Amino acid sequence: MRKHYLLITLFIVLSFLFTASFIFAGPKPAEEEEVEAVPEEKPPEVDLSVPITVLVTDPHIQVVDTWKPIWEAQTGGKIEVVLVPYATLEEKMWLEFRTKTGSFDIACVPVTWLGEVFGGGHVENLEPYMDKYGYPNWDDVMPGVQRITKWMGKTMALPYDGDNHMTYYRKDALEDPMYQEQFKKKYGYSYHTPPLNWSEVRDIAEFFDEWDWDNDGEIEYGVAFIAQQNSQAMWSFMDVCAQYTTIAGKPSNYTSNIFFDTETMEPLCKSPGWVEAMTRIQELTEFAPPGLLGYGYSELRQAFVSGNSAIAFDWGDIGIQEQKPVEYGSKVKGLLGYGPLPGAKKYFDRKTNRWVEKQHTVNFLNFGGWVWVIPKAAPQKDAAYHFGIYMTNPEHSLLDVCGIHGYTGANPWRWSHFKTPEAWVRGGWGEESVKAYLKAISDILQDPNAVPDLMIPGTPEYYTGAGSSLDVHLNAVLSGKISPQEGCKRIYNDWVRITEEKGFDEQKAFYRSSLGLQ
Amino acid sequence: MAGFTVGRRNIKFAFLLPALIYLMLMAILPLVWTLTLSLTKWHANIMPKPEWVGLDNFKYFLFEDPRFWRDLGFTSMYVGISVTGELVLGLIFATLLSQKFKGKNFFRVVYLLPMACPPIAVAFLWRMMLHPDIGIINTILTSIGLNGVKWTTSATVAPFTIIMVDIWEWTPFMFLALLAALQSLPTELYQAAAVDGASSWQMFTHITLPLIAPVIVTISLIRIIDAFKLFELVFGITGAGPGSATESLSFYVYVIGMKGFKLGRGSAISWLFLIILLIFALILISRFKKQRT
Repeated sequence: MRKHYLLITLFIVLSFLFTASFIFAGPKPAEEEEVEAVPEEKPPEVDLSVPITVLVTDPHIQVVDTWKPIWEAQTGGKIEVVLVPYATLEEKMWLEFRTKTGSFDIACVPVTWLGEVFGGGHVENLEPYMDKYGYPNWDDVMPGVQRITKWMGKTMALPYDGDNHMTYYRKDALEDPMYQEQFKKKYGYSYHTPPLNWSEVRDIAEFFDEWDWDNDGEIEYGVAFIAQQNSQAMWSFMDVCAQYTTIAGKPSNYTSNIFFDTETMEPLCKSPGWVEAMTRIQELTEFAPPGLLGYGYSELRQAFVSGNSAIAFDWGDIGIQEQKPVEYGSKVKGLLGYGPLPGAKKYFDRKTNRWVEKQHTVNFLNFGGWVWVIPKAAPQKDAAYHFGIYMTNPEHSLLDVCGIHGYTGANPWRWSHFKTPEAWVRGGWGEESVKAYLKAISDILQDPNAVPDLMIPGTPEYYTGAGSSLDVHLNAVLSGKISPQEGCKRIYNDWVRITEEKGFDEQKAFYRSSLGLQ
Repeated sequence: MAGFTVGRRNIKFAFLLPALIYLMLMAILPLVWTLTLSLTKWHANIMPKPEWVGLDNFKYFLFEDPRFWRDLGFTSMYVGISVTGELVLGLIFATLLSQKFKGKNFFRVVYLLPMACPPIAVAFLWRMMLHPDIGIINTILTSIGLNGVKWTTSATVAPFTIIMVDIWEWTPFMFLALLAALQSLPTELYQAAAVDGASSWQMFTHITLPLIAPVIVTISLIRIIDAFKLFELVFGITGAGPGSATESLSFYVYVIGMKGFKLGRGSAISWLFLIILLIFALILISRFKKQRT
């Protein structure tokens, strides 16, 4: 009998706890924050009874995780998420394209890989879906971002991210009159804020390297950028390379062109512009934190917002992390200045085969951004498209880029993102900061002569591919193992071989097309 | 009677057949498949079908690709130094912990912990500790007035960082095997040697070492074969950099096959790798046999 009493008591206590947990538990944070902001969805026109699988890498998982429960609640659909690290995303994607098992319905991938993906016919042309289900305000997508979703005139991907490198600098260092005076005394000139060219960057980096210029008791360094192998170091190099190799203008063989000669398809890697850029970036490593060669995008962002360097070059993500002292340990909230990439005091004119002394800046759309693609073998294409446009519509994408959803890896890409500073202020930004930040990005994205990134079949191989690549040789130069000249020579040889393997004429046609040349 | 024999033999084969088919499918078929692939050119992301190229892939690696030889050189150096280091340290720890003292069992367990960690977790752990900016090791070095070391970002230091971590991880394996060998040695020989006035060093070199030599050869062989397959530490700690300073042969296979999708070349280099390992193993085993005879 006593045993029974005990059991009954236990049952009552458990029931009480169970009920109490439901009553007192708060709603899930994402739902609590977002449901109010999101208007009710129209009844879906697509069959959402079967789950769709989303392939995504960090940090974009943040976006999917935010919208997944809301979309599921509103539509009755179901989403399964496959999260893979950036380093293995490419192989996962290609495995699916080759085996056609339908292992995912929609994937978030970088546009630089899409030459082969689009060209190889591995993903759906999205225009029939746009015609059938519509697209939320295509005119709101910036022209540069529209361009990267297209292949041979057809829209093959859903835009999601507007990517370009920009300059970040510590205002408390570079704008300090005392430091400016000391700098002028030492170097004989006054620098610009943000730095106007890579020569200024070099001197500023040297000046602010290895001393405690913000009086926080810790040593700071001059400059930081992504330099880690098997990551995205090649884009740090291309930031410099673009300035010394070409001059801004309507894309042609001699203007806004940095990779290949458009007539001969000979790589420009051995050109004096490339060698100069390689020399410059190697020199910058002397004024960088000791762990620079281990800086992937995560390490760079974490290090810079924790206050370890005077200048950094990155996509828009540092700006987002800057605003979040709690989540990302930012010690520099409100202390950062923003600007376009530095230019150069000269460039190598291949037409005349000589250096031209001229201060100039070339905007470079490096990386180009992330997009959503639907594989040909995806079993739930319509449902995948439905979720894709749901995530990326103007209202939702604004919340993803402005910091309200934290660091998502997505940067502004719609006109409307730039016209709603109040949302950014809600995302933790100061009013002045956000104006400067958005201006820096929109100036680059609106530039009709911005140099497009390499986007032809084999781009991953030219950049980071097997047995070759810019990435490996660049890293050897940065670590001082080989000279800049030797590095450029090796890259040239590899690029010639890759072009021959892919087919010289085909590559030339693709490259010319990527620049908008006939 | 003959019919009965044939029947029994058939039944025997019938019982063996599922196991044989399983072995063929799981072990032999992939080998044959990759051997066939190694004679083709197949860039899986752009070519729908492989193209026959004969021995071109093998010729490429052996005569045209300096990276293959450089990676083989790094891998061999890594195997040589790390296995030797592990053996020496393992022997020292095993000798010390085979003595009687208080707390012996505690140390035995502690020394085994690194081996129990998954290699990729070990790589991540050390990557964090050795981080040149925020790693605990450089923090300690700088706090006592020494300069921080570019453990993972210097082309000169990084190879030795990989070796150091490998030694940390795998010395316990040597220690465990050698401790077991030492504890199984007969005590009479040592008593007799002590009566004859042999010193501890003489007992170690003339009794202990010869008796545990077979164990040393066996565990060295196991470790050499395993160390040749170096991948996780490189992947997790340095990503094969800086440049290709820490690129192992296994990592190169991964880069070609999984990153570059060059399945023909990936198969060819895998086969070359297998052949190199077999040659090493055969040399060591034959030396071991000679020693025994």
